[in-house]
Formats: sequence, structure tokens, C-alpha cells
Amino acid sequence: MIGFLFVLPAFLLFLVFRFGPAIAGVGLSLFDYDISGTLAWKGLANFQRMFADPVFWQSLRITVIFAVCVPLSIALSVFTALTVRRGFRGSRFFRSVFFLPVITSLVLVSSIFIWIFSSNGPLSTLLAPFGLTDSWLSSQVLVIPALVIVLVWARFGFGMLIVLAALQDVPRELEEAALVDGANAWQRFGYIVLPHLKPTLFFLVVIETTTAFQIFDLIFVMTQGGPSRGSYSLVYMLYEQGFKYFNFGYAAAIGVTIFVMTITVALIQRRFFRER
Amino acid sequence: MTQATVELSPSRRRSYRALEPTRRGNVLRWAGLSILAALCFFPFYALVMLSLKPERALDFPASLIPWDLSTAAYERILAGQNILVWLGNTLLYSLVSVVAVLFLASLAGYAFAKKRFPGRDVIFWSFLAMIMVPFQVTLIPTFIVLARMGGVDTYWGLILPTLANAQAVFLMRQFIGGLPDELFEAAKLDGAGDLRVFFTIVLPLCKPVLATLGLFVFLWHWNDFLWPLIVTQSSDLWTLTVGISSLQQKNVTLSSVLAGSVIALVPIFLAYLMAQRYVEEGVTSTGIKG
Repeated sequence: MIGFLFVLPAFLLFLVFRFGPAIAGVGLSLFDYDISGTLAWKGLANFQRMFADPVFWQSLRITVIFAVCVPLSIALSVFTALTVRRGFRGSRFFRSVFFLPVITSLVLVSSIFIWIFSSNGPLSTLLAPFGLTDSWLSSQVLVIPALVIVLVWARFGFGMLIVLAALQDVPRELEEAALVDGANAWQRFGYIVLPHLKPTLFFLVVIETTTAFQIFDLIFVMTQGGPSRGSYSLVYMLYEQGFKYFNFGYAAAIGVTIFVMTITVALIQRRFFRER
Repeated sequence: MTQATVELSPSRRRSYRALEPTRRGNVLRWAGLSILAALCFFPFYALVMLSLKPERALDFPASLIPWDLSTAAYERILAGQNILVWLGNTLLYSLVSVVAVLFLASLAGYAFAKKRFPGRDVIFWSFLAMIMVPFQVTLIPTFIVLARMGGVDTYWGLILPTLANAQAVFLMRQFIGGLPDELFEAAKLDGAGDLRVFFTIVLPLCKPVLATLGLFVFLWHWNDFLWPLIVTQSSDLWTLTVGISSLQQKNVTLSSVLAGSVIALVPIFLAYLMAQRYVEEGVTSTGIKG
């Protein structure tokens, strides 16, 4: 029984702030709730409203675009991990530089990124000969590439460390044997290293995709979802519906959608694992 | 047979070396990595440079030359804004959370790993399941619960909900589960109570994992944005991230916002420099999310 007492403080916190809200979140999506505390049963009306709302489809589209760009960041992780892999001088230094953005709050570097993408920043100045002189963040077309650049910058160092750890488990003898058999670097990567990295890469894809589903900070500080909802993500919509318009029930329905998306990605990953 | 071995060995000896980077390969690597590192570091460099060039044209590339620098923006932000209050709030939010999360998680982790009690596995699996539920999904109900309890715009309301950290409990349970049972049994035979075992045996043995986990909890809280944004309303309670994002929306010069950002980033960079090994090991050995 003493064991239960040890778990009790954490358990109570979880009950009030995690389990309760998780169940209530699903329940709330079926109600209307206002600040005065009145609950009104709505059935599936919040979801019907959501599926008929063009803003929802726009935010879903933006969120999926962010998720689809995840492999860019992972490709850079694999590339840098392979490059800094076999110990050579400076490997530690490069690792630290690449990891620094991971521990940096995007809110705190957003101002400098706004400047970098602005019309008198380096990108527009360098790309002026190609006619790209406007601020990237006020362009419907360029706002997503700009945010993806920041996200890749912020995340690839994390994947690099994970891939580096996995590379240590690739048997050296196999690579050497392949070398003796005349395999070139690409073949060695494709036939030996990559198959060993597969589970790690799946893990990374899942963790980074679910992170992409939750993008909020960056959009809040850099674009406020603009220009004209060109970077309006699901969590940003949840925030606006909940804390700007106080449509708590509607916001909860968006939350349930994000949850379903997260679970789906995790289940797909499990299926892949079983097939392997 | 013998002949084949003789034939193979020189090429194999070469192969051992061939997997190591060659001189030319190393030069190429250095060049490629240096370019990437320069791109990666550029935002930090620009951040510091522009923060030292107040009230001047911020055009590229003139603004990036380390020339004609002044600390006026730093003086202005330290004098005029609430940045020191926000720094204090962020320290409070991060440090209290680190201590509390480590304590609660190791207590629960110890019980989950080494104690038997009814419902243990069910409770543990329900904790584990919460790792899968994104915080944003429970955001609205958590806020409503907190508002009902009167916790909006208070320190305890800011801190308390973030202490329910499933990942921390899971990590502590994994680590303590790997400690040999004999240690605890021996202490029991000597008549030590459960609390005594926890404080004198479990906690000291957990030092390395506590250091790593503590560092990450510190990072998460220092960089946290959405929760403090929602819970705190008066600027006296803001954390650095919330405060600095509010500066962006106000009529504050870019250099002042940047100076504020630098001040907020320095502690995190120092923490990383001092404990780099723990951070990197934490990521690679536990897959903890940076």
C-alpha cells in the first residue's frame, strides 16, 4: 500500500490536469460552454460546423503541408550524421552548432527570422536579381517555405543526434565486407546502413510529424496565421477559437481532430513495424 | 585455400583504412560542414549584431558588420521594460518545476518499478498513454479546470498543471527498474523504512538520470510559450517568451526586442555549454524530445 502512497501525488496531478481534461476534451466537443459556466448539449454540431468551415480545411491543409515537409529535416539529419560520423577533428564542434537551434526557443529568435525574411533582410537582397524583393512573410507563396526553413533549422539537429546513436549499432564488419566486395559509398549506404537505420527513421518520422501537427509558437510570433490565413495551422485555429472568440466547444472539437491525427500516425507506424 | 587468404589480405588491410575518411574526404567534409554550420549559426550572429546597432538602418549587409556598436538597446530594455521581472518569473517557473517534477517522478517511478500495489499496472499504463495525448488537445479543459479553481493569472496556476509530466515518470521508472533489488532488500533487513530507502538509496543512485531529466525539464519550461501565454494575464506574471513576444507587437524598436531576446537566450546557452554531454546523452539514450 505504501507504493500507492508514493504514486498518489503524481496520480492526483494527472487526474486533475491530464486524464480529466483528456476525457473532458472529448466530451466538451459535444457541448457549448461559455465563460459563465453554462453547458449546452450540441451533439455533433461542433463537428458539422467544423467540416463546413473553410477556415478549418485551410488550417488542416497548412498543418499537413508542415507534416509533409518533415522528411526534408530528417534527410538533413541523416546527411549531417553520416558526415560527422567517423571521428575526425571538429566533429564535436559541428555537432554542438547543429544542436544549438534545438534547445533554442523559436519565440526568442523569431524577431531575427522576421528580419531575415523581410524586404531589407539578406534573402531579399541576395535574391533581388531574381525579382524576389518582397518580404517572404507577407507573400502567400513564400510564407510556407520561410516557416519550413525555420522548422528544419530548429529540428534537424535533434534527428542528427538520434541517427548518430543508431549509426553506432551498424556492424562495421558488414560495411568492410561490402567494401571488399567492391561496393561504393552509395551502395554501402543503401544496402547496409539504411536498412539498419529503418526503425530509427520511423521513430523520427512519427515524433517529428506529431510535432508538426502541434506547430503554434512559430506562427503566433511570426505571421499570426497570415497573410490572409496563408500559414493558419490547426493549433493556431484552436487557440483563436478558444481564447479569442471563447468558442470552447468548437475549439475542443479541433483538439479532438488533432488527437485523431496523432493517433493515426502512431498506428500507421506500428503497422509498418509489424510488417517488417 | 591458403592462396586465397594471401590474396585477400592486402586488399582487406586497405579496406580497414578505406572506411576511415581520407585526407581529401576530410577536406571536403570540413568545407561542407563549415558552410552548413555558418548557415546554422547565422541567425544567432545576426541577432547579436543587430541588437548592438540601435536606431540605425538595418539593411543587409551593412548591419552585420561588427563596427560602430553600442549597448544602448540593452540599457534601454533593462531600464524601461519589465524584463528583469520576466527573467525572475521564468527562473521561478523553471526551477520550481524542475525540483517538483524530479521529486514527484522519482517517487512515482520508484513505486512503479519496485513496489506492488493493487492497480499498479493499470495506473502506469494510463500514465504512459498520456504521452500520446498532445498537450494542445487537453489545453481548453485544463484551462477551464484551472479557471474554476481560481488559478488563472497566479504563479501556482502557472506551475501546478505542468508538473503532471508523463515522460518524466516513465524515464524514472525505467531507470529505477534497472537497479538491483538486493540493494533495497538489504536496507529493508536493516530496518530502514520506505521513505528512508527512497531518500538514502534511490535518490543518490538516480543522480545521473536526474541531472539529464532535470536539464530537459528546465529547457522545456524556459522555452514554454503557449501555456504561460494563456494562464498569465498581467505583465507582472509573464515569462520571458511571453514578454518578448508582446514587445514585438508593441511599438518597440527591433534592436530592443533583439537585446531582450539575447538576454533570454544567454542562460540557456550557458546551461547547454556546461552540461552538453548530459543533453546529448539524454537525447541519444532515452529519445527524450529536445
